[in-house]
Amino acid sequence: MFINSTRFGQLEIRDDSIIVFPEGLIGLGGTRYALVARDDRSVFFWLHSIDDPSLALPVTKPWPFFSDYEVKLSDDDAATLQLESPEQAEIFCVVRAADQLGDFTINLRGPIVIHGESRLGRQVINEVGGYGVREPLFARVPLSEVRPATPAAPVAATGV
Amino acid sequence: MLVITRRPGERICLGDQITVTVLEVSGSSVRLGIDAPADVPVYRHEIWLAIKEENAAAALAPASSVPTDIPPN
Repeated sequence: MFINSTRFGQLEIRDDSIIVFPEGLIGLGGTRYALVARDDRSVFFWLHSIDDPSLALPVTKPWPFFSDYEVKLSDDDAATLQLESPEQAEIFCVVRAADQLGDFTINLRGPIVIHGESRLGRQVINEVGGYGVREPLFARVPLSEVRPATPAAPVAATGV
Repeated sequence: MLVITRRPGERICLGDQITVTVLEVSGSSVRLGIDAPADVPVYRHEIWLAIKEENAAAALAPASSVPTDIPPN
């Protein structure tokens, strides 16, 4: 299917890349999203709503930035996501962009968990305490290792 | 808004599937027991609000604001 993203223009979304969030994301509408990125080697993805072409959040896997990050799900979260083992879970965290890269933050408290096979997703509260919703993203990875995006960067829908 | 008085051990029902029990009142704190289906998320309000605000703020980002990649080491 195609969506007409307000950010990226027309995007083709493969059926197998659609992620269903039965409860939506916390505070945001819609239940169907897809990860879109320039290519599948990207560190940053956009979790793009399929139902609302203007709704998309930058997300990243946390470990390139926080190698010792830990997530623990509640039993209810694991049951709702039908997760039977940790290997089935794909973890992403929402990134809050800013004018300066040094001001980017990441939400380590409320990660987004996606079942890698069923493509069922849920934003959860991490049961491992001590993580904030607005942690400095580049606290450990030097800015010099990050290339800024060009506004015209082509973006293609990919799988996780 | 509905305002009701409950004593420890008493409950309220939210629809057919959610029950909130007042377990203990101690000073200014109230301990609640919440019985809800697994697919109904239950959040402490301030955490829910903080994450909601971060999601809303993150969703304002224009396409050009996010770096394309970090080169592999």
